[in-house]
Amino acid sequence: MGKKKSVVLIVLATIVLAALLFMSVTPAIPIGGTPDRLESFLSTADLGTDLGGGFRTVYYPEGVISQPEYALIESQYAEAEAAGDTAGLEDPADYVRVGGVYLAAELCEDGAPTQEFQDDFAAALRGVKQRFENKGYAGYSVKVRDGYSIEVCIPYPEEVDGTQGETPGTVFDTFSYAGGLYFSGSAITDTKGLDAWTKDDVKGAGVADAGDSGYAVVLHFTSQGREKMATLTSQMVTDEQTTLYVYVGTNQALAIGGISAEMDESTLYVTGNFGTRAAAQTVAALIDSVLDEENVFDIGLTYSQVYTFAPTLGEHAALAVAVSVGALFAVLLAVALILYKGMGLAHVYGFLTYILLFVLCIALLGGIVIDMAGVLAIVLSAAVMTSFNWYAFRNIRTEFSTGKTLTAAIKSGYKKSLALTIDAHIVLAAAALAVYLIATGPARIAGLIFLIGTLLSAACTLAVTRFFLYVFLAQPKNKIAFCSFRREEAEDED
Amino acid sequence: MKIKLLSKKILVALWALSLAIIVAGAFVVGFVGFNAAPDASDAASVEVSGYMSQGGLRENIEAFCADKLAADGYTVREINHYESYSFMDDVLEFVLAGDPAADMREYAAGLQTALDASGIQGLDTAAVTVSGNNAVAAPAYTYVWRTAVAVGVVAVVLFVYVAVRFRLGMGLLSLAALAHDVLLTLALAALLRIPAGMTLAGVAVFAALLSAFLQTGVFGRMRSDIRAAEKEGGKNALPARDAVALSLQTGAKGALAAVVGLAAVCVVLAAVGLFTGIGLTFFALAALVAAAVCGYSALALSPAAFACIKEKSDARRAEKAKYNYASEKKRAKTAKDAPAAEEAAEAEAE
Repeated sequence: MGKKKSVVLIVLATIVLAALLFMSVTPAIPIGGTPDRLESFLSTADLGTDLGGGFRTVYYPEGVISQPEYALIESQYAEAEAAGDTAGLEDPADYVRVGGVYLAAELCEDGAPTQEFQDDFAAALRGVKQRFENKGYAGYSVKVRDGYSIEVCIPYPEEVDGTQGETPGTVFDTFSYAGGLYFSGSAITDTKGLDAWTKDDVKGAGVADAGDSGYAVVLHFTSQGREKMATLTSQMVTDEQTTLYVYVGTNQALAIGGISAEMDESTLYVTGNFGTRAAAQTVAALIDSVLDEENVFDIGLTYSQVYTFAPTLGEHAALAVAVSVGALFAVLLAVALILYKGMGLAHVYGFLTYILLFVLCIALLGGIVIDMAGVLAIVLSAAVMTSFNWYAFRNIRTEFSTGKTLTAAIKSGYKKSLALTIDAHIVLAAAALAVYLIATGPARIAGLIFLIGTLLSAACTLAVTRFFLYVFLAQPKNKIAFCSFRREEAEDED
Repeated sequence: MKIKLLSKKILVALWALSLAIIVAGAFVVGFVGFNAAPDASDAASVEVSGYMSQGGLRENIEAFCADKLAADGYTVREINHYESYSFMDDVLEFVLAGDPAADMREYAAGLQTALDASGIQGLDTAAVTVSGNNAVAAPAYTYVWRTAVAVGVVAVVLFVYVAVRFRLGMGLLSLAALAHDVLLTLALAALLRIPAGMTLAGVAVFAALLSAFLQTGVFGRMRSDIRAAEKEGGKNALPARDAVALSLQTGAKGALAAVVGLAAVCVVLAAVGLFTGIGLTFFALAALVAAAVCGYSALALSPAAFACIKEKSDARRAEKAKYNYASEKKRAKTAKDAPAAEEAAEAEAE
């Protein structure tokens, strides 16, 4: 490569890298004269509950109230009683104290909850727990509070303020639906006499990218379910009903319009107002949970308030972790420069490209949430990238020491490290893919982050760093000294 | 620096030690369980909720209640603050150490009375209520077993790739090492009582991926070194233990640097956690254990175990070469085919 060409490339690469890195990691900057702020790519990344906090609510089953609610009823009733008019007010005597909550008297027998209520609550707990597990949150918790209420903490949903995204209220509402799964050509107000669809009919629900329509909920039918759907839609056509409704209990989960012919397919894609994958995933998680009759519950669940909470690892944990990891990366790059000089410089550019691409992927790809498991995945993938760059440099050094020219040493050093680099990246990519496809929650997201990191590491090790090495080597007069190599000159005496 | 591989006796002793730690960890998990992190643990708490957003009021209430709880002999494990998403309400949750089933309702009533009489400026006693609560964590079984299955699949993927691409012995050892690393990390987390929540599964996945990376790196290098030495050396190739030690001597640097780098990240994060939140420290400690275990197994256990396997396979190969079974077979075949060949030659001559 010519010197001029090399200078142009170095200047261009430096400007582009510096500008994009600045846009990627700097804090938000206010745009003069407008209320808007320029957000860095990194600041748009979604965080798990440990680094970003989230939302919390408490579900109360129908007929169960909290201590403060009971205290309010009690004081209002006492005031009304003193005034001699208790009409229309709830009588605190209608409630029985059980554990830390108050149960409507009809739910109790001899001061204890009836077996039927206990069974209903146990089913509701199972169902709610399953729904939040299915949702695959990076960090969430479900706890039984005071014996008969359910406390749930979730991370900030994607695009809380987005019109097509989902609010925490949407998630908490959707996951409180009681009842089984029903398909109908008309609205369902009572499920009595209706047959719920179970896993014998529907294998499961998932999410698919629907292009311009956003995202779709995908329902996979069994052969029995396929037959039932064909019968139902054929009946709908006869009755001139054009909208197929999917209900959980008496709550509408999905609606499929434009039914004009019998549907005899094993997979049904339902697009709707799902602007984000997360929104579609919530409905899919709900449907998936009610396919197992064990998770179907009949008692209504209500919540009065949604609260926000700070990151569980501390208010500024995300910033502290980002700064620490960034500082360690900087130390690593300095070590590379000291150890390998010119080759270290190529590594610096290769590594910065890798970091930049990583930040862009995290910011732009949906479904990536950074929590501590994700941070570990990022650090491990950076270690993989650095290891294989350094491995190639050591091989180049060894080849050079055998007497080869620098160009031949670089060529043969890279050739020597190619097999192991490819082997390790294939193994790691396959392992990360397996974790992403099988695991759920933080482990699944860590698998996805590591998969992205491994692919970027492969590209940056095998191509980007090598390219920068060639570009930089066009500059110095003494290329051997630039690479920190020394050749022992054997003087020929003759 | 010359690397010396572990002797067979020490290797067996170390595997036995690992097994003992894993078994002890399994017993601790079985009988006592992991030391649950706050998000996964049962606890009794006192909750103060209501309107307290006015400047400084929440801080004053928090200080008053924390002092009162401490004065009454309760240890507050953590104080959580929840802010209403759509209203002006706040909740202060004082999570208590000790019996998670303790009935705090009577105490909450007393605290309410004390708070009402506290005279905190700006406190509307009718708008703030105190309650005693108990929370029992619901374990995420699906999450745990699916993560376990994922780690199992990672182990199988590693075994298949290494066994096919490198050597069968290396594949088996990679599989054993990955299982060893993940189980030993979890066992040590249980024995050291490192608080564990859902994030521990993340650490287990980290251990599995790190183990896969180190095992592939070390064995990949070893395979090419040994192959090159065998090609060059022919009959004079180095003995198994020396060949493995020599390869490790040149190839271990990279793996060691990666482990040291990752351990440094964990140490820094653990130190940062002391200032931001102790949960980060515990998480980083668990990750540090994983890094140490994976490094130890990839740099000490696996190479020594592979040397033993290679010794045996080399000995078997030497034995075969000594008796020259292949030649005997060839000779037998030649002898068998000889009359037929003679007949054919005769026929051709005629």
